[in-house]
Amino acid sequence: MVSSVMGAALLVATGPLILDTYSVSILVRAFLYALAALTVDVLWGYTGILTFGQAAYFGIGAYAAALIFTHVGFDWSTILLAAGLAIVAPALAGLVVGWLSFYPGSTPLYASVVSLAFPIVVTQMIFSGGTFSGSSSGLVGYEVFDLSIEAWFRIVGGVLLLAAGAAYMFVNSEMGRLLVAIRDNEMRCAYLGIDAPRVKILLTAALATIAGLAGFGYANFSGVVAPEIAGFVFGTELVIYVALGGRGTLVGPLAGTVLIDTASSYLSGDLPYVWQLIVGLVFIVVIVALPNGFTPLFSRLWRAIIGRRGRPRHLAVVLESPRMDAATTTATLEIVGVAKSFGSLKVLQDITLSVVDGELVSLVGPNGAGKTTLLRCISDGRERSSGTVRVNGEDIQGLPPNRVARLGLGRKFQTAAVFESLTVAECLRIAGVLRYRPSLTRPLHVLHLPEAARAVVETTGLVNVLSRQARLLPHGQKQALELAMVLALEPKIVLLDEPTAGLTSAERRRIGHILTELASRHRLAVILVEHDLDFVREISSRVVVLHQGRILLDGPVDEVVGSRLIRDIYAGSSHD
Amino acid sequence: MHRGLQIGTTAALFGFALAGAALAQNPIKIGIPVGLSGANSVVAPSVVQSAELAVEEINNAGGVLGRKLALEVADDGSGAAGAQKAFDSLIFQKKVDVLISMETSAARNAGLPIVQRGKTPFIYTSFYEGRSCNPYMYVNAWVPEQQVPPIVDQFMAANNAKSFFLIGSDYAFGRGMLQFTRAYIEKKGGKVVGEEYLPMEGTDWTSIISKLRASGADALITSTAGGAPNVTLTKQLRAAGVSMPYGNLAVDEGTAKSMGADATGIFISASYVTSIDTPANAKFMAAMKAKFGNDLKTPNDLSVPEYEAVYAYKAAVEKAGSTKADGVIKSLAEVAVDGPRGTIKMDKERHAPLTMYLGQVEADGSVKVIKGFKDVDPGEQCPNLK
Amino acid sequence: MTLLLDVVTTAGVLFTVAMGLLVVFGVLKIINFAHGAFLTVGGYAALVTTKFGVSAWLAWPLAFASGGVLGVVVERLVVRPLYARPLDAILATWGLGIVISQVITLWFGREVQFAQSPLSGTVAILGDTYSLYRLTLLGVSVGLGLIFAGLIEGTRLGLAARAVIMNEDLARGLGIDTRRVRLLTFVIGCGLAALAGALITPLSSVDPNMGVPWLINAFMLVMVAGASFFSLALASLILGGAQVVVSTFVSPILGGMTIVLFAAVVLRLRPAGFGRD
Repeated sequence: MVSSVMGAALLVATGPLILDTYSVSILVRAFLYALAALTVDVLWGYTGILTFGQAAYFGIGAYAAALIFTHVGFDWSTILLAAGLAIVAPALAGLVVGWLSFYPGSTPLYASVVSLAFPIVVTQMIFSGGTFSGSSSGLVGYEVFDLSIEAWFRIVGGVLLLAAGAAYMFVNSEMGRLLVAIRDNEMRCAYLGIDAPRVKILLTAALATIAGLAGFGYANFSGVVAPEIAGFVFGTELVIYVALGGRGTLVGPLAGTVLIDTASSYLSGDLPYVWQLIVGLVFIVVIVALPNGFTPLFSRLWRAIIGRRGRPRHLAVVLESPRMDAATTTATLEIVGVAKSFGSLKVLQDITLSVVDGELVSLVGPNGAGKTTLLRCISDGRERSSGTVRVNGEDIQGLPPNRVARLGLGRKFQTAAVFESLTVAECLRIAGVLRYRPSLTRPLHVLHLPEAARAVVETTGLVNVLSRQARLLPHGQKQALELAMVLALEPKIVLLDEPTAGLTSAERRRIGHILTELASRHRLAVILVEHDLDFVREISSRVVVLHQGRILLDGPVDEVVGSRLIRDIYAGSSHD
Repeated sequence: MHRGLQIGTTAALFGFALAGAALAQNPIKIGIPVGLSGANSVVAPSVVQSAELAVEEINNAGGVLGRKLALEVADDGSGAAGAQKAFDSLIFQKKVDVLISMETSAARNAGLPIVQRGKTPFIYTSFYEGRSCNPYMYVNAWVPEQQVPPIVDQFMAANNAKSFFLIGSDYAFGRGMLQFTRAYIEKKGGKVVGEEYLPMEGTDWTSIISKLRASGADALITSTAGGAPNVTLTKQLRAAGVSMPYGNLAVDEGTAKSMGADATGIFISASYVTSIDTPANAKFMAAMKAKFGNDLKTPNDLSVPEYEAVYAYKAAVEKAGSTKADGVIKSLAEVAVDGPRGTIKMDKERHAPLTMYLGQVEADGSVKVIKGFKDVDPGEQCPNLK
Repeated sequence: MTLLLDVVTTAGVLFTVAMGLLVVFGVLKIINFAHGAFLTVGGYAALVTTKFGVSAWLAWPLAFASGGVLGVVVERLVVRPLYARPLDAILATWGLGIVISQVITLWFGREVQFAQSPLSGTVAILGDTYSLYRLTLLGVSVGLGLIFAGLIEGTRLGLAARAVIMNEDLARGLGIDTRRVRLLTFVIGCGLAALAGALITPLSSVDPNMGVPWLINAFMLVMVAGASFFSLALASLILGGAQVVVSTFVSPILGGMTIVLFAAVVLRLRPAGFGRD
């Protein structure tokens, strides 16, 4: 990393001395495009938002400058005005586009659709501006800074380096890891109390500003703005540069943009169509066969040459002191008359039960009885068809999962939902963002964990693999990690969906012990869905039997487990 | 023996190299940024052909100041963004000595700052909306003051037209031409009942055509970007059954031919039509046919000025004695060229008085000349340029 | 009256252009961003018939066939590996569109060219004169819609396709060769796109990038329509009508973005669009 920064800085400083004027001016333009490509990479490579729309913000920034310089004039006040507009207008546009694209329940496809529609709308608006905006002709001949091409090269190159450095710091910071978490598993984030749509909207607005500033630079450097620079074809080119360079690497998109754009400028005179054809073909091949682009290939080669150099990060796991208000707040979950139907299919009917702290309630019943649906109705305020659910005294009517989670409810999923690309420590850090705001600049180096979570981490051996990527964990440890993440949220009520599925008997015993401790020592209200009746009998304080969407039995363990009704249901003998 | 052979061979090679160097003196490069793609792509091939013929003829006659002429063509995409790249590449990478070309006003406006920065002479060979001024630019094609009056006068006199509908492409040329047209119509006592624009790349004229039909106008005058927009508009007009007097300010013979039957009846006002009956034009047409045969693209009002401009450059360089920009710029106003359009001298504020022809397109695509106007003055185009 | 005809014929053109994209999206659940390039292929097929002096009517089957054949190759090489990655499928097919248009440019040249219309002139209708070709196009799009609706409802392939649309795993489990269904559907979708290209060229012109503006509008219509031909027809009518109205009464430039804007807003408010939930 350091070596590439040094190399880049050297290029910026000496470039104008060794290259001819034409090359230098081409590179300035390429640098500006690379700045825009950087924003695409942060959005797509790191956060998983495929966007064709960054060109629109670039264009808005460029036109802000051109319009003001053309119609108002060129002096210090207008320069400041134009720069301000180039920051504010894209940010506002980004907020609007973000609001339109990201909401609970939106799909990535829809977000991409909006990101495609936006540059079209912007170019059409430019066309409709007639002589004011220059329409098809664009705006030309407005006054700009009187700088030499070499000076531009150094300024733009320097800005690009700074931006790249800031981006590097950002994506390695805790906030950057949060973005990856959102990309990997947005649902898990929601159930950890994270308002992912809000994060994405703010991110879009911030990156829109950067793209807008790149556009501002472009308008000043080239002295010409035309509708094409705000269009979706340009937006798609940025995506192509990022894809070929290597999404999610920062360096890849930068190098990719500069190399491809420069090559295009040189070759477009001599073999324009063949070059485009080649780029298109390589692009298809990369998407189909090499989705991570060329940078990972090169870095593997590089590492093979210079020898691997691992830098284990030193992590301190800090134990959090017990909460002062543990005694006064009690956990309560009240479910009254909840029902859920899909059209005419009634999945749940007339569910009424209450759980308080210290209880360990097992929810049992054959497949299709509605157990997972019930968990969904408890954790997502929009899910049920009728009835009331109160979490710690608050009615969850209409609340999306992240708001319910903030009321003190944690949910663990049946298939371990962790963040595959993050390390164990990072997963746990993300789980605690409600309590500890993520840093925008510093990478993870201290992990605060509440006692319950720490207990899980230590007893299951996760403490030894804090730097390992979550996707590499064996199944049992993934389950444990997810449980620890849920506990890091410091919930008062915990919902667990088949926590023992796929575990060895040793792991099962450990989990059972942990769950019992959660209820008895940490005074949480624990509800689990379980099939393993022996496990249920061992650890539960209470059992609720669900059958065909209704509660059949609700009582202490011995009573229910021994009952004949249970045997009948599970054994499948006739019932009335 | 060996020694002698060695020295002899080396000397001979050396001699050949020197001689070769003397012969292969670097040619004078003419840069042609033109719309190979985009709206102008219909006419661009004819422009390039004109330039190629001129260069071939001049080189066969000994070149300019003993040097050959060479062409460098670049695609400006018919628009501002592409023009920037094309002009940059021609001026700074290929380092041409002069730019001679026809392009859309969007492209021209984007290229001019680069021309200024590169201090390269630029002969603009396209008709346009007028009043574009730059210390390095000369124009040998018509401006509205020369082209519009014949059509409007014709409609008012022969068709008794009082109300006009204007349609154009939304960029400097379209708007500039129609602005002049409107002013002229109103000065002559007529009325403009509608003025509509589509972006240069627009192809769907449906709603504009419906407005035209609803307006009850007596005559239609259009000024779209040269090439594709002309054809799509005309096709759609005819498909909708529009048959009122139709004056097209921006169509050339070649495009009219490719429109086929749809072009019949269109009025055009041009400084060149293939049927001009002069020895110079006959010689030109014959030479074009000889050089290009079946691949010949009809010479037209956008391509013939290119041919003449190359000759104008030759004359200016010879008068100035070198290709240095300052001398060439001064001389271009002083040289006169005899070409297919007659004798042309760009001495009116960087523009040229031209002979204009009012014509109507026939069913076979040729243009019948109705009236001719000799040496029409371009008016006050660049009063501030010395 | 002219306005009404404008609306209806525009809707017809949009429907024809979007049909192929809908067929592919409905069954394969991916967006074929090369759809615009297939439109272009069809346009050039029409150009070829003009160049060879053959009857312009032959352009239609020629276009459909060219699109279909190209579709077979594309499905195997590009689309099949990406069924599980829909966003990447959008990118790969966009790249494919670039490749196709560059190949066309290398072969045919970059200029704008013109294909002959099989019909010309106007016809008197409802007290007004209107373009005969546009009206014919309307008839063709209605006809195509009915043919394909019939195919979907009445044939075994249609039945299999509907099964795959509803639940592919189940369909596969029941023994339906989903691979073949996907391949055939994709080929038909591409053929339809090319046919649409041949149909629209007489209205404008033929150049290597003619498909791109249509692609976006078709894409938005398909997003809004969901998976049925009927809702696509409805979307074409409503959104196409909005486009014509805005173009006529406000400005043709703003009219150009009506469909896109309208569709984005509709989808935001009702993610199922015009389709059934």
